[in-house]
Amino acid sequence: MLTYVLRRLLLMLPVAFLVTVGVFMLIHLTPGDPALIVLGEDRSPQAIAAIHQQLGLDKPIYVQYVIWLGRIAHGDFGRSITTHQPVGTAITERLPATLELGTAALLWSLIIAIPLGTIAAVKRGSLADYIATGITVAGVSLPNFFIGVVLIFVLSVSLRLFPFGGYIPLGQDPVESLHHVVLPAIALGTAGAAINMRFTRSSMIEVLNNDYVRTAWAKGASWQRVIFIHALKNALIPVVTIVGLQIGGIIEGAVVTETVFTWPGVGRLAVESISDRDYTVVQAIVLLAAFSYMLANLLVDLVYRWVDPRISYS
Amino acid sequence: MRRVGLAAACLVMVVACGSGGGGNNQSATPKHGGTATIALESELRTLDPLDSSLLVEREVFYNMYDSLFTIDPSLSIKPGLVKSWDTSDPVNYKFTLQSGVKYQDGTPFNAQSVKDNITRYKTTANSRRKSDLASVSSVEVVDDTHVTFHLKKPDATLLATLVDRAGMMLSMAAVQKGGQNFSLAPMNAGSGPFQFVEWKRNDHLNLTKNPSYWKSGLPYLDGLTYRAIPDVNAILAALKTGDIDIARTIAAKDVAGLKADSGFIYRSTPALGFNGFELNTGAPPFNDPAKRKAVALAIDRYAILKNINFNIGVVGYGPIPPSSWAFDSNEKIYDHANPTAAKNTATGFSFMYKTTSDPVLQQLAQLMQAELAAAGITMNIQTEEFATYQQECANHQFQACGVNWSGRIDPDGNTYAWWHTGGDFNDSLYSNSQVDAWLEDARTTTDQAKRKQDYDNAQKQIVADAPYVFSVFGVSAQISSTKIQGFTLYPDLMIRMGEVWKS
Repeated sequence: MLTYVLRRLLLMLPVAFLVTVGVFMLIHLTPGDPALIVLGEDRSPQAIAAIHQQLGLDKPIYVQYVIWLGRIAHGDFGRSITTHQPVGTAITERLPATLELGTAALLWSLIIAIPLGTIAAVKRGSLADYIATGITVAGVSLPNFFIGVVLIFVLSVSLRLFPFGGYIPLGQDPVESLHHVVLPAIALGTAGAAINMRFTRSSMIEVLNNDYVRTAWAKGASWQRVIFIHALKNALIPVVTIVGLQIGGIIEGAVVTETVFTWPGVGRLAVESISDRDYTVVQAIVLLAAFSYMLANLLVDLVYRWVDPRISYS
Repeated sequence: MRRVGLAAACLVMVVACGSGGGGNNQSATPKHGGTATIALESELRTLDPLDSSLLVEREVFYNMYDSLFTIDPSLSIKPGLVKSWDTSDPVNYKFTLQSGVKYQDGTPFNAQSVKDNITRYKTTANSRRKSDLASVSSVEVVDDTHVTFHLKKPDATLLATLVDRAGMMLSMAAVQKGGQNFSLAPMNAGSGPFQFVEWKRNDHLNLTKNPSYWKSGLPYLDGLTYRAIPDVNAILAALKTGDIDIARTIAAKDVAGLKADSGFIYRSTPALGFNGFELNTGAPPFNDPAKRKAVALAIDRYAILKNINFNIGVVGYGPIPPSSWAFDSNEKIYDHANPTAAKNTATGFSFMYKTTSDPVLQQLAQLMQAELAAAGITMNIQTEEFATYQQECANHQFQACGVNWSGRIDPDGNTYAWWHTGGDFNDSLYSNSQVDAWLEDARTTTDQAKRKQDYDNAQKQIVADAPYVFSVFGVSAQISSTKIQGFTLYPDLMIRMGEVWKS
């Protein structure tokens, strides 16, 4: 087991290297000049040249890449081009907000998806199944920014049930924090809920057709035992995969939602940094997102073993 | 910043004229206490005037730092940290400073502090104030309350420049204490009505009352909270839910609704900037003056004002807006659209117009496309992501580019960099030796009547040559809940909270 984890961690290195090349080239080859963004209404040819020199942008791109790679190998992600804040601080400051939103969205998606998916599978072809399927199609089809805007308009602006945007740290005021996270979590988690429900349903249908389930029914086991103990646990394997990827995707999933709800998370930082061509910050966030995907994948593989003891890592 | 501060500020800023001028709105007895939440339409990058380039940053600075000079709503220069001044010698400006002023960290504001601040702005590597202070050769400390600014050459714009960031005075002890993180947390650095508490980027910036503010009895509010809300619709929503008390911009389409709502205040005054688009005189088709004139003749400014800006603002004829002393109300070279005259000047050509994906800017582009089509001119629209568009326009890689300007107190700030040969914002590559001479003379002459004549002449020539097609002048607005009292509206878009109180 330990050997397996170590091997997987080592295999991440070449992937991480390719990610550094990809992110560096993509952001640097995108048109736009951070010096112009930084200078704004105060630009002059001398000031532009000074910033290029200060940021090393006057060097060939491969030299810039090697310098950057050397720095990150030493754990130095540099400072933000636009705010001069250390990149590590900029990200870690915002990570709690993103994690809170991502966790709440994931919980929302699972609370909706697993019961509805199970009902839809057990009562296949019934009205409940059609309603659940309808919700799925709507959830996947509606972009989260649209859901966000509708939620803000109805529940925040019109009915005044929830605050509009903003973030209160969980440690500061748990009740207000949860009050603030509800709308963005619903907006962000609804698409995931729809997908998870679809997976739960199809996987559950497949499992319910298995011989051992038929045997369980034949033995006279109660429906609760058959559905929840025999069927659901096994049906959740594909759901675990997809949820794992959703955990890994919290950062990029939050990009749009955080902007709509003025949520001070990593996603919003990413959006602003991309439009500001804040190379150092964008590069660090993409690396973080890539790592969280890789770690989530590893985690999913480890959870498989708990869900299905037949899987072995030897 | 120019384009953001424009796309976001000016275009949306082109909100409402006609609802009264500047100045203070209420006259009840001020009340102490309470806090106000203010919307910023973009996030700040720095809290140090030294490396600031955003409009929203200036807005916060005016509540934390004091400048050497201030303005009144009619843009006249008024005392700030400088109590009185003598500019009779055009290259040696003598300033008498306020006495007894202390920074929030307790250190005194004095002549040495002025010298240190100006030196810091002029010499620090990442200072963006160097060009503002280019005319200043040195600052001489005469005594504790007297300084002399020695200039390399006469500079009529200097006092107006010292109203803004280049004239903001900071405690050098606080700057040194803040070190590398000073721009993120300028603790007790100013002498203004409010002082820094905390800045959580993308969430909030908190300022608290300066208990030892040198203007006695002020400020009334206990503190300010700034929230960056980068979407105008979201700003309106936050205003309606009471999450914010005051904002600078909302979408033009929403102004009439807000005006009709008795729970809110909407007032406006002509702003400092101009709106329109650049034509590249250095490349075809607009290296042909006739084609530029044809475009300027074919554009229907009244239709833009009505359909895009919902009649908020006024038709723009040139670079100097009605808020300025240099405004020339007789200059209407291109007024109502005249497609016939345009056709007679030049027709049958096409060009590419660069803009960003902002929905209002898209509608503007489509409207102009239709107007030009009536004159037989084909305008193709190229929509680009902001940074790309900004880079291409700045590097003269365009035929036409929609760019607005937030404006400056002195008319020099609306003209020199844009149309002087080689000017920093002369994206159009416009060059006219006569215009250069007028703009230079206006810079160095202190006689305002003479300067006005220079600007009248320069403006007429620039407008006629059409390196830039002017469309609309915007407004500066107070958009707030009715609880906000004592707010003074200035043309420069800045929300000054020092004398504001909450009912």
